[in-house]
Amino acid sequence: MREFASLLIIPLAAFVVAPAHATEYLSVEQAQKALFPEAERFVLAPVLLTEEQRDAITDKAGVKQRWEKQDVWRAEKGGQLLGWFIVDNVVGKHEFITYAAALLPEGKVRGVEIMIFKETHGDQIREASWRKTLEGKTLADPFKLDKDVPNISGATLSCRNVMSGVKRLLVLQQLVLPSS
Amino acid sequence: MDKPAHRRMRPLLGTFVEIAVRAPEPLAETAIASAFATIEQIQRHMSFHDADSDLSRINLHAWRRPVSVSSDIYRVLCHARHISRRSNGLFDISIGGRLVAEGRLPDHGFPALDAEGWDALELLPRLRVRLKRPVVLTLDGIAKGYAVDCAVQTLFTHGITRGLVNAGGDLRLFGPDALPIAVREASGAITPLGEWSNTAMATSAVGLSAEDQARFPSCIVTPHGCDGLACPHFNQCPRAWTVLADEAWRADALTKVAALAPEAGRSARIARLGGRLIAHDFGRGE
Repeated sequence: MREFASLLIIPLAAFVVAPAHATEYLSVEQAQKALFPEAERFVLAPVLLTEEQRDAITDKAGVKQRWEKQDVWRAEKGGQLLGWFIVDNVVGKHEFITYAAALLPEGKVRGVEIMIFKETHGDQIREASWRKTLEGKTLADPFKLDKDVPNISGATLSCRNVMSGVKRLLVLQQLVLPSS
Repeated sequence: MDKPAHRRMRPLLGTFVEIAVRAPEPLAETAIASAFATIEQIQRHMSFHDADSDLSRINLHAWRRPVSVSSDIYRVLCHARHISRRSNGLFDISIGGRLVAEGRLPDHGFPALDAEGWDALELLPRLRVRLKRPVVLTLDGIAKGYAVDCAVQTLFTHGITRGLVNAGGDLRLFGPDALPIAVREASGAITPLGEWSNTAMATSAVGLSAEDQARFPSCIVTPHGCDGLACPHFNQCPRAWTVLADEAWRADALTKVAALAPEAGRSARIARLGGRLIAHDFGRGE
């Protein structure tokens, strides 16, 4: 796991403003176990996308593929591909979400788990500065979470951006990942 | 508890559903997975977007012949009818046609979009449902809360005694522990409401800006045709109403009653229906 972890890019210290609410639900390893409990191993197979591939994904998914590199693992059992484990991020006006998607080889969603959920207030998440802080960040980097996480009521927050992200990953799978 | 020992979040019911329990690991993991499965099942049965869901079958066919449905949607319809009757129609699940006409919900080829009225719903024996006339039902105002209650029941059956389920603001806490609760205001600010235990809570907002509507897709329309900002009750928009109740379905439904009720006697009206209205400032702090 160690060599994988050091390669994984996750933007964690993205906010200059104080997060109002930040919860870490699962590490990469925990999310892998939750989504593919029967897997014997996870082989990191990061995808580096060309500009054409990114454009094709954006066109087909209707959601922009913003980054070149996508962290992808093969979930395997007995040398067979069980499916793909992909860590992805979505950024909204006030929220920042890291999630894991489990995709089956035939191009279906097996499950989605939120790994990190952050909400800010009083400031928008600016994509440019967020991308900058992302560079070189690894899972090994420590990050702070609010000690007492409140349980939040309020008008229902839409999960549409995560669902769009999953749709984008399905297109990425179809265009770039092998079927076995 | 200081903090729930196991906490998970998944995108479900159009929002983010969080389940937290305090229990030993294998039990906690199994129970949480099972509770999410319960919510997924309710989502399948009550989805407006899915043309094959129980709800869609009712909307498409129940005006012609009785439709057999799952026990969970039948129970939700019982609850909905009860609150509709007791609130003199302020809570009304028959407004789906208007939401379809406005493009907020998909049109699966419904026979009529202009008919409304919760009294069109007939609950027949043996889990069958009939509509006296072709209205379009939507369970957005109650199903999330109901799903929370069912998820809590599932946790109970696994022997979990301490925890919470929160479906994007419709939440329920159980067990002896007092947990911090806060309300997200329209500005994004989080206002603490203190610590609570063994209660359900829901918040609904009205009069949000178009931008906030995209983020908070909730939409409250009145049964009698005065919508959103045009409604005299909404002159202080945006506003939100938070209601406490023993069960989450009730808290969820009563936020709609609170939003549509006249100012005078609003709290008393909610109390008569089994809820407790909590006042807070929504979105006007900044």
